[in-house]
Amino acid sequence: MSWAASPPSATGGVRGDDPSGRRPAGRRRPVAGPRGLRSAAGKASLAGAAVIWLALLGPVITLLTHLSWQSIVSSLSAPGAFDPLIVSLEAGGVTLAVLLLLATPLSWKLARGTLPFPRFWEAGVLASLLLPPLVIGLLLVFMVGPFTPIGEAIGHLHLSGTNTFFALVIAEIYESAPYYVLGAQAAFGSVPESLEQQAALLGDRPLRVFRRVTLPLAAPGLAMAAAVAWARAMGAFGAVVIIAYHPFGLPLQIWTSLEETGLASALPFALVLLVVALPLPLAAYIWSARARGRRRG
Amino acid sequence: MLEADVEVDRREFIVRAAISVAAGERLALFGPSGAGKTTLLEVIAGLVAPRRGRVALGGRVLTSTERPVRAVPPWQRRVGLLRQEPGLFPHLSVRRNLTYAPTAAASGAELAELAQVLGLGSLLSARPARLSGGQAHRVALGRLLLAHCDALLLDEPYAGLDASLRRVLTGLVIRLVTERQIPAVLVAHELADAQAFADRLVIIDRGALLQDGAPDEVVLRPASRRVAELVGYLGFVPVRPPGPGGQAPAGIAGIVAGVHPERVADGAHPDRGIVLTGVVSGGRPAGAAWEADLLIGTAQITIRLADRPAVQDGELVVTALDPPCFGADGLAAPLVDPGPGRAWPVQVSE
Repeated sequence: MSWAASPPSATGGVRGDDPSGRRPAGRRRPVAGPRGLRSAAGKASLAGAAVIWLALLGPVITLLTHLSWQSIVSSLSAPGAFDPLIVSLEAGGVTLAVLLLLATPLSWKLARGTLPFPRFWEAGVLASLLLPPLVIGLLLVFMVGPFTPIGEAIGHLHLSGTNTFFALVIAEIYESAPYYVLGAQAAFGSVPESLEQQAALLGDRPLRVFRRVTLPLAAPGLAMAAAVAWARAMGAFGAVVIIAYHPFGLPLQIWTSLEETGLASALPFALVLLVVALPLPLAAYIWSARARGRRRG
Repeated sequence: MLEADVEVDRREFIVRAAISVAAGERLALFGPSGAGKTTLLEVIAGLVAPRRGRVALGGRVLTSTERPVRAVPPWQRRVGLLRQEPGLFPHLSVRRNLTYAPTAAASGAELAELAQVLGLGSLLSARPARLSGGQAHRVALGRLLLAHCDALLLDEPYAGLDASLRRVLTGLVIRLVTERQIPAVLVAHELADAQAFADRLVIIDRGALLQDGAPDEVVLRPASRRVAELVGYLGFVPVRPPGPGGQAPAGIAGIVAGVHPERVADGAHPDRGIVLTGVVSGGRPAGAAWEADLLIGTAQITIRLADRPAVQDGELVVTALDPPCFGADGLAAPLVDPGPGRAWPVQVSE
């Protein structure tokens, strides 16, 4: 039955389905004219898309073509070769946990516009996105370094804000948080407020509404945001190199291998970094695409 | 019994409304878009806080701005709200949508019975995205009924559905509201929808309640010219009661008779209303009837007749049946009502 009230997301396709892009004025010309033009433009845009796609994927292809089994084996069989991987995984995991715990409520409030001066809050999130990571690293030294008030406070907890695992986590949070907050904000923003109201009117308290309606509906977008944040945390370098040179994570391992023994020995670690950083985003992407597809029916 | 007496700030005006709906009664709020109808429902549901006022349902005070101040949150109100968008949870099956409310009886018997009444028996495991518009609305209605809410608020729920489906769904709601003996309020901007549903009609415009009465009475006896315009009177003809010797008495100028397109009979019937002679300035089919524009003096009216009239010399004589009249102040001026069986002692002003 065609009078079905379709969700907004589905109605977006109506215009795209309409094949009559022709205007009445266009009918006077030979039909092949505008159609030919259109198909030429279509081919050009397809070619453009292919070029940029290949260019973006180029580094990955290059990496795969330049690796030899021998170099992989020799690089990874060195004693302690997997330590940077373990450090990166642990720091990334802690970073992600902190973001999920602390940044999720912020994203939700940003999406619902319940914070006073919302632009002000958003600007704060954007600051760490817009600042070059290297600059963030520098500023972090002045903020949490050993001779600062915050650094001393951290010191009382027998922690240090520089060159420790803790420092690595701090740097990774600064480099990945904005990606998570902005992505999660979009995910929460896509949940219609009317559904939350309906759940409340049916008797659910706000926390229950969040658990039963908001979270499941935002989950695909949240997973994407978390996956992107994970990839950013795994690859964090700029801020890390300044405040957390030790312990070595994967990006620093790549950097020092490059500095000490050259390009060839850095490549296997680059592959390891990709292998570790990419599966989660890819899995999240596939899962969220499928979840959205199911809801659209 | 649902009672609401509230004032709510809106950007352009203040909504001031007092309504009370008995258990099992169906009230329709009718008015143009932006009149404040939805705002009133949202105040009752607890989604919007009034500037001043009180809302009570079955003896429970839900909102009160006077001491003791109360603002019961939506999740404790037990008020069901059905909007145009059915608002089904897309990630849950029909069955889990129906039994969403924590108060929903999880017992299979009630669910099965309701699913059968609503014609949803075979759809319980389907996802909302697979449902048609009518099915989605039935699920939304069933969800409110299984939640055992104490009042039902309907915010133009069936706008956008076709007429026969609207009729079926309206009948279903009437039946269930009567069975459960809960107060129900429908908001509509289509008069026919409001009349089909309600046993009481309230006219609202720019935040003010203009008239409250039986669904037919409000249309036949509008309390003011504005109400008449809202319920479909498309023309107003200046009239005057003839005074002694055919002279109009002084001081009652400016009276107009409202002409509803569907309250017009072909030909002259002076005992049934005001006879109007006008120049036909346009005509068109309107459903199964014929609609014509008539110029009477300087007043333009629109009439609807069962058959396309035979017009001679461009003139047409029709009778506006028992028309309501309004004074210069816009309020009803019943002075020209002659009583049954007597000719209307009025003339159309030149």
